[in-house]
Amino acid sequence: MGKYKTPMLDELEKGPWPSFVTEIRKAMNTSAMPEMAEDELGQLEKSYVTKKGYWKHGGIVGVLGYGSGVIGRYSSLPEEFPGIAHFHTYRINQPSGFFYTSAALKEICDIWDKYGSSLTNMHGSTGDLVLLGTTTANLEPLFAEYSSRGWDLGGSGSAMRTPSCCVGMARCEWANIDAMGICNHMTQHFQDELHRPAFPYKFKIKVSGCACDCVAAIARADLSIIGTWKGDIRIDQAEVKKYADGGMDIQSEIVGMCPTECMTLDGTTLSINNEQCSRCMHCISKMTMALRPGEEKGATILVGSKAPIVVGSLISWVLVPFIKCDDEDFALLTELTENIIEWWDDNAKPRERLGELIEVKGMRPLLEAIGVDPQPQQVREPRKDPFFFWSESDFDK
Amino acid sequence: MSLPERQTDVGPPHFEKFLPPVIKENYGKWKSHEVLTPGTMVHTAESGDQIHTVRIASPRILATETIREMCDLAEKYCGGFIRFTTRNNVEFLVSDKAQMDPLVAELKEKGYMVGGIGPGISNVIHTQGWVHCHGACTDASGIVKAMMDEFHEYFTTKTLPNKVRLAVACCVNMCGAVHVSDIAVVAVHRKVPAIDDENVGKMCEIPTVIGSCPTSAIRPNPKDKTVTINEEKCMYCGNCFTVCPPINIHNPEHDGVAIVVGGKIGSLRTSPKFSKLAIPFLHNEPPRWPKVVDAIKNILDVYAANARKHERVGEWIERIGWEDFFKLTGIEFTFQHIDDFTFMRDTLRTSAAFKY
Amino acid sequence: MEEKEIQDEIFAYLEKMKGKKKLKEKDIYKKMMADHAELDKNTVKTALRAMINVGKVMYSYGGGASSVEIPSEEYLKEKGLI
Repeated sequence: MGKYKTPMLDELEKGPWPSFVTEIRKAMNTSAMPEMAEDELGQLEKSYVTKKGYWKHGGIVGVLGYGSGVIGRYSSLPEEFPGIAHFHTYRINQPSGFFYTSAALKEICDIWDKYGSSLTNMHGSTGDLVLLGTTTANLEPLFAEYSSRGWDLGGSGSAMRTPSCCVGMARCEWANIDAMGICNHMTQHFQDELHRPAFPYKFKIKVSGCACDCVAAIARADLSIIGTWKGDIRIDQAEVKKYADGGMDIQSEIVGMCPTECMTLDGTTLSINNEQCSRCMHCISKMTMALRPGEEKGATILVGSKAPIVVGSLISWVLVPFIKCDDEDFALLTELTENIIEWWDDNAKPRERLGELIEVKGMRPLLEAIGVDPQPQQVREPRKDPFFFWSESDFDK
Repeated sequence: MSLPERQTDVGPPHFEKFLPPVIKENYGKWKSHEVLTPGTMVHTAESGDQIHTVRIASPRILATETIREMCDLAEKYCGGFIRFTTRNNVEFLVSDKAQMDPLVAELKEKGYMVGGIGPGISNVIHTQGWVHCHGACTDASGIVKAMMDEFHEYFTTKTLPNKVRLAVACCVNMCGAVHVSDIAVVAVHRKVPAIDDENVGKMCEIPTVIGSCPTSAIRPNPKDKTVTINEEKCMYCGNCFTVCPPINIHNPEHDGVAIVVGGKIGSLRTSPKFSKLAIPFLHNEPPRWPKVVDAIKNILDVYAANARKHERVGEWIERIGWEDFFKLTGIEFTFQHIDDFTFMRDTLRTSAAFKY
Repeated sequence: MEEKEIQDEIFAYLEKMKGKKKLKEKDIYKKMMADHAELDKNTVKTALRAMINVGKVMYSYGGGASSVEIPSEEYLKEKGLI
């Protein structure tokens, strides 16, 4: 079947795990341009033989008025594979939490079959619903069809990137903050910054409801918003007993693995010295029926994480240990976010991420710009060498 | 044929439109959850209401036909309510408990893999690869498929001491959280890029190219309106290629993948950790990368046999020490393992206490 | 300054820098505000955005970063603007 012999890729249609090759083949059944998926397979088979990719650097494509959301992609072998001479990516901004109804998804699919390859990524790494493979001529029709139905483009280039979050309060008892609500609010609040790339470089926001961090906010967002609490972990001792009766070795699995050694077990009664608890989520995540986070909810704000390019990967650093997120329109959090972005936008060189800028300037200018005091929660340990800056304002204290 | 009128800056639809009624009613009021099987779980609200979730694997690249098939199943069993997870699994949100088992049965009958919850291997975070990226020096989807054909039982039935997060990145830009995964594959280059001098002058801003290099290996060559690269300094990151396509980093014969281990994201027990180098290089061997799969299987087996319950890969390695990790896995320790990039000071041993 | 005058100057600046330096939005704000003390960022931004909305200038992407450029004839044809 098909125009090309693909013995290498055929190999990847065998085996139990769902096959992406099968998906590319299936796209030929529904797309108005079946030659796209077909030539994609042909070119991919060639890559498997030569161990080399055949895509050009992104080109300049987009929808009128925006600078984001569409990534130009052209085959470097357009004569051999004309179906993918243009094979652009169209990023649809996903609903927070990746919830859909079948009706909404089917409508998205219908439009995509008409104007694109029928291939998708559910979802891209940043979080967008990614449509893989369309032509330059189809971009404006796609935008008209999708935007008129309420589906806007996501971010790309030197812009705010599509914010993303965990499932949050929709289906998780550990959500200390309304992760989906915050994500949706931030997305709407920064529409201009998302669609019109005017920043020094990309800026990513991710929101997780607790320290389990299911959206990996701490590792891949310039601004990581992670839910936490103050006060006592709520214990249901009857459920603790059920775990013990069910065979859980609470002493070694829970008490013994607590990083702050703040738990004790007396028979089947569990006690927690909450003053000493660092809210890491180990015990809560293992005793889902017995333990729940405390009731004063908020978020820890961390900044700076990114992948290795340019001078090494970073995990986000604590900036604000605790901020309440239950006010109208998340006003406190939104203002803080705006202030952080403003400091970065004013100071960063082109292609400099927030974490890299902090490495150059230090934490102090950022803390001063956003009006946050130095606190021990921001560091793992204080500096070791006796070299430090003093400014006039320090002498007045 | 006329098109509907475009709108700008409307953002995505509000998620509320897509929530099942039981979720809307209990939003923020969930009390507990229980994992029933590796592919099903039930969440209970303070009100006593419950929602059952059925999770299946996805290759992330989905044809619309497959999405429609999933939607049909969602309509048949759970009112059309469907979502995706942050690791690209698909979840059916079942409000009527009686529909869960028939849904699972039909999913299995249709060949879907039900699983991905709990201490095993969930879906693999990965990048575009040769399928769709200009910078790829391996095919992420192909490696994932080959890996998961081998490890799929950890998705559907078998368990490990804790969850093991796998990831594949097709270059060091790492779209996805590869740098903080339990075991990850990252494609790397090993040769200094080839410079097309004529086109560098035409297409690139020389100061930007020089500034893109993390090791200051790039010098201007004003005479020929191009740049030169100091071979002794270049660490083959490819950032110059990103800003200037005529500096070609690709070299199929010498490109391949490295394997990194021990990263984690959650703050549970220990702080989030970066993944660290286990194997500096394996050749690209499409279509099934057998040496990569074997290498990961070896690490996974040694972890499963030696880690304590609830220990993640990185926690286990920190407890036994990296010297023991190399001994137990039989992985050769090389010059490439000793950091000489930005974080060197933090990684060299500063103690006379260690194991042989 | 009238919006039209601002836009003409922005266009002239982009034309002058074409092929020399990729300009970001901020470079344009800075240049306009340096040349005309009475201008603020929002006024320049509004004028520039109006140009972008009708395809007089456009966002571009290259070298790993976004910039503002004068569109090619090909782009204008594609968008049905010429």
